[in-house]
Parts: sequence; C-alpha cells; structure tokens
Amino acid sequence: MSRAILQLRDVHKSFGEAHIIRGAQLELHTGERHAVIGPNGAGKSTLFHLISGQLQPSSGQILLGEEAIQGYSPQHINHLGLSRSFQITNIFPGLSVFENLRIAVMRKHGMQYHFWRSIQRYSEVRAQTEQLLEQVRLQDKQTVCAAELSYSEQRALEIGMTLACDPRVILLDEPMAGMSHEETDYALNLIREVTQGRSLLIVEHDMDVVFSLCDRISVLVYGEVIATGTPDQIRADRRVQEAYLGEEQCA
Amino acid sequence: MKLTKILLAVLLLALLVLPAILPAAMVNAAIQMLIAALFACAFNLLCGQGGMLSFGHAAYFGVGSFATLHAMNALNGEGLLPTPLLPLIGALGGFICGLCAGWFATKRAGVYFSMITLALAELLHSLAPHLSMLFGGEAGISSMRSPAWGLDFGDATQVYYLTLGWVVLSIALLYAFTLTPMGRLTFALRENGHRLQFLGYNVHRLRVLVFALSAMFAGIAGGLQALNLESANYVLFDMRFSAEVVLNTYIGGVNVFLGPVLGAALMTFFGNAASDLTQSWLLYQGLLFVLVMMFMPSGLAGLVLCWSAQIRRRGWLAVIPAALSALITAGLLSLAVVFAIETLQRVFSQDYQALLIADQPWPAISLFGREWLPGALLTWAMPLLLGLAGLLVLKLARRQWLRLLDDEPAAGPVALRSRVEGEQS
Ligand SMILES: Nc1ncnc2c1ncn2[C@@H]1O[C@H](COP(=O)(O)OP(=O)(O)OP(=O)(O)O)[C@@H](O)[C@H]1O
Ligand SMILES: [Mg+2]
Repeated sequence: MSRAILQLRDVHKSFGEAHIIRGAQLELHTGERHAVIGPNGAGKSTLFHLISGQLQPSSGQILLGEEAIQGYSPQHINHLGLSRSFQITNIFPGLSVFENLRIAVMRKHGMQYHFWRSIQRYSEVRAQTEQLLEQVRLQDKQTVCAAELSYSEQRALEIGMTLACDPRVILLDEPMAGMSHEETDYALNLIREVTQGRSLLIVEHDMDVVFSLCDRISVLVYGEVIATGTPDQIRADRRVQEAYLGEEQCA
Repeated sequence: MKLTKILLAVLLLALLVLPAILPAAMVNAAIQMLIAALFACAFNLLCGQGGMLSFGHAAYFGVGSFATLHAMNALNGEGLLPTPLLPLIGALGGFICGLCAGWFATKRAGVYFSMITLALAELLHSLAPHLSMLFGGEAGISSMRSPAWGLDFGDATQVYYLTLGWVVLSIALLYAFTLTPMGRLTFALRENGHRLQFLGYNVHRLRVLVFALSAMFAGIAGGLQALNLESANYVLFDMRFSAEVVLNTYIGGVNVFLGPVLGAALMTFFGNAASDLTQSWLLYQGLLFVLVMMFMPSGLAGLVLCWSAQIRRRGWLAVIPAALSALITAGLLSLAVVFAIETLQRVFSQDYQALLIADQPWPAISLFGREWLPGALLTWAMPLLLGLAGLLVLKLARRQWLRLLDDEPAAGPVALRSRVEGEQS
C-alpha cells in the first residue's frame, strides 16, 4: 500500500517580508523512509515546524492521512500519531535521563492528570522506559541529569523521546548531527529498526546515511521541492547536482 | 534516606510536644510559623516545581481566609462542616480563584506570567475595600470558632493542634503529588514546556491545574489563618505578603521539597522575635535575601544538603572544625552588620534627634545592654573590628571547606539537583 500518509500541497510560509517556504509540494507514502535534503537555510526545519504545528503556514494545505492539520496545536498533531525530533536538542535538561524518557512514554498511557497514584506503580510505563533506554544505549546514564550528557548522548535521548509515543509518522531533524562514525552507524540501524512499519521523514546532511536509509529523497531549495525520487534518480538529476550535490563537491 | 526519615520523625515529635513546653504567648507564634510554612510549600509547587514565579500569591491565601470566615459565619461550625473541617472551604475558594486567575496568567510564560499574577493580585487588593459584601470593607469581617467534636477551640493550644494536623497533612499531600505522574510532569513543565507540547501534552491545561492546586493549598493556609485570628481584612491582599512568600521560599531553597518550609518557618520565627527588638526587620529580611541569592542560590536547604553530604562522606568529626569556623564567621559578620545598622538606626531616629542640644556632645545610645557614645571612636570601630575578625575567620573556614571538598568529583549545583529530583530507583 503506497497511499500518502502525509501531504503538503502548495505550502507557503513568510516571516514578514521573508518568503521562506514557496509552494512546497511533498508526499510521504505510508511505510516509506523519505529524506529531505537541501542546502543550509533552504527551509527544511521550517517545513518540519509547519508540519508539526509549531508554525502555521501562510497558505496551503497539510494533510495527515485524510485530515487537514494546518493550524492544529502541536499536541493535537502528536495525538494524531505524528512525532518529531528537533535539530537543536530539545530535552528536559534538569531531569534525569530516565525521567526524560518516562515523561515521553507516559503520554500514550493517558495519565497526564493522574495525581492519586505514585508513578512507581505504573509498571508498564517503567518497562517501556527501560526498553527505550536500552534501545538508545543510555541505560548506564539513566540517573544522570540530561544536561550533563555529552552532545551525542543528548542526540540519542532526543531520538528516544521522539520514538516513545509509538507514532505512525516520525519526523527527524538531523538526528545524527554531532555523532561519531560508530554512533552514527548505531543510530542508523536503530532508526531503520524502529521505523519498520511506520513512515519516516528525515532531514540529514550525511549523504551516506540518506542514500542507505531512504526509499525516496526530496530536494528542497529556497523553499521549493525541486525534485523527488529514488536515490538513484536524485543522484542522476542535473538540477539537483547544480543546486546541492555540486555545491557539496565544491566545499 | 534513613537519616532524613529519622530527622522528620524527631521534628514531628517536637512539634507535637511543643505547646506543653512553650509559654502560651509563643504558641501563637508557632501557629504562624506553621501557616507560613504551608503557604511557602504551596507556593513552591508553582514556583520551584512548575517554574512559574507568581508575584500575587497572597491573593489565594486571602481568598482562602475570607471564604473560611464566611463559612464560619454561615454554618456556625455545625452540620457537615464542623470547625476542624472549615479549611476545606478555604481550599475550595483558593482552587476556584486559582483556576480563573491561572487560566489567564498561564497564557503567558516567564516575566509576563509574573506580571499578570501581580496585576490580578493588585486588582483584588484595590477592589476588595469596595466589595463590602465579600470582604467587609475597610474593617474586614470577623467570626468566632464554634466548638466541635467535643473541643471548644477556646485556647491557642487546641488551635495549634488543629493547624499542625492540617499543615502536616497538606505538606504530605504536596510531597506525594511530586511522585505522581502529574507531579513529574510539573517538573517537566519547569524544564521545558515547549517540548512537552510536542510529546502530546496540553501544556496550558497542565499549567492551569498546577496553578489551581498551588492556590488551593495556599487557600488552606489562609483558612487556617482565619481560624486562628477569627478575622480578616483586605490588607491580606497586600503586595507585601506576596513578596514575603517569594522571599521565604527562595531563602529556604526552591529546589528541595522542604526548603520553603524551612525558609518560611525560620523567617517567621525571626520576624516575630525581631519585631520586639528592632525596627529594621524588613531591612534584615531584604539583606538576607540578597545574600542568599548571591552566595547560595540553592538556599538554606542547599546549604544543609551540602553539609550533610560532607558528613556522610567524611563523618561528623572531620566536618566539625569547618562547621565551627563557618558558624563563627556567620556570627561575627552578622554581629558586625547588626551593630552598624542598629547604631545608625538609633542615631538617626527622630526620637533621638529630638534629644540633641546644639554644641553639646550627643548622648549615649543603648545597644546589646551597653551604653555607646556616638562621639566615641569605639562605637564606630566596633562593627569594623567585628567585620574584620569575621573576614579573617572566613578565610580559615574557606580553606577548611576546600580541604573537605578535596579529591571529590565536582559536586556542583546541577549534581545536587539531579540527586533531589532524579529517579531514585
Ligand atoms: N522565525 C523566523 N523568522 C525569520 N526568519 C526565519 C525564522 N525561522 C527561520 N527563518 C529563516 O528561514 C530560513 C530557513 O531556515 P531553516 O532553519 O528552515 O533552514 P534549514 O534548511 O533547516 O537549514 P539548516 O540546514 O541550517 O538546518 C533561514 O534563512 C532562516 O533565517
Ligand atoms: Mg534545519
């Protein structure tokens, strides 16, 4: 089945005078892993903000399944099964790693207003948190304050928190930035594993990751998707080479 | 933490036998300490745990007081709500007002939040004298405690035990709350409300509920005050009380659960003791606040934790010298400051200035049970000498403290915090 689970139809976003997203068109198929690449400042993160409800598009439509979600609140969009990570690490710095993940896990158990029972008694939450800790390889750090983690450990935590709510659609914004080779490999396998049966939209600068992980790639330049296709098609695309890959070779 | 539990049990025991050993006049001071402790603890749910600094929390305390007084007058302590249960009405009043005010205030975060709470409290303060139905105008309203459950609540001792019961129960509930899912979310709210939204939480609703819960417990404290004083007037809504709870809480330490309780109890105690001795209590209070914020931002509770960590690591004996010199430093420096302030205050007071006769030496002032001549060098050298001695001992204390810290993996405030709030599994 390859119906689109997430669609952007002619989405525009301006900040005052600055027209950042200029009629972006994008289709994320159910069950695929889809990368968004593009030069710095192309608007990739802005696109994620628009999809996840942090920003509202100036015009255009964003469909999650059948539902137009533009203008919904972030938590509403999360409830519809879309979860995202942030390019700039966005965690609970003063809480322990375990607590960070547990708070992310708690949500799908619908216990945010429970005030009559100790959290220790929710054994399922505990078990899932521990499993997640193991998945992102932070079990040794579980009692450490999140602010004291190394940068790459914080990135791993960020991924863990994004996965915790069992989402249908996952948006990852440069999840591997700042990771070592070994950590990138591990994270790559982790992402591959946990996105089995889900749909993934990922922004990533590491081309090896993009080409080995993703089924399709979209190229965003100046707020417009100039090409979408399989890795081979994208590699062969002249406009992409000019706009993006070529630039990388120069750098 | 076994030691903590033992200490708490001892404290509770001491509070239980207190009225037997205290003179009757002091029992009332103890009641005020208990009420202030609960108020600060309730405030800290919002401020320290939820990360929302309210500058108008006296409003909910006051509403709790008035609500309780109205209930006292209406029910005469009969029926479903005998006298001991009346603070429930204070809780209800605080909760409802907290819901309404919180709904507006939590629309914004940070400074804007604080300003809205301030504005709402000031609004109430200026409206209250005109709403004589609700707040009894300038004179306020009063009532009488009715007997219930075989007790007549005629003397301070019975009121003390009633207050103690409510305060202990409320603080225990507030602590239990921090262990529940919603309580854990409250910490996350402080840390990063933005991220919570993207994890699927309704942050505004959560903030409003935390606000209302905090206001509810403030309302209980207000209700207890109403039971104790049997009266209230609009002065309760004064900005001064809102500021006081902020100061007490921060002096005690916002990142430790019992910190505000400690801060409020101590400050109320000293406030009571000092009001007979000095006219400059507000000045001392402000000074203390500034010093705590500058030199130990984690408050008195942070200090206690710091020292108890050293005791656990090194044993009592090794810590005693450093503790002793620290105490001497604190003593000398406070003495110097108190000496200077009190001398100046006395010399510049209007009463004293009226005594002066031109071309005559200024008469002596009395301080610490002695007479001091403003013309004498010693009077002014005294605070300087005391301060100097204090600074010298401070140097020693610092060296001893650093030696204690030696070969220790850096235990900064962050590490402290993670121990307090981290998962204790
Ligand atoms: N709130 C804002 N107000 C004004 N301009 C903004 C705002 N947010 C982003 N921009 C601008 O939009 C452009 C795109 O930013 P965006 O962060 O989406 O780029 P990106 O593709 O994610 O880049 P990178 O690869 O560096 O992460 C940038 O030029 C940025 O300055
Ligand atoms: Mg970006």
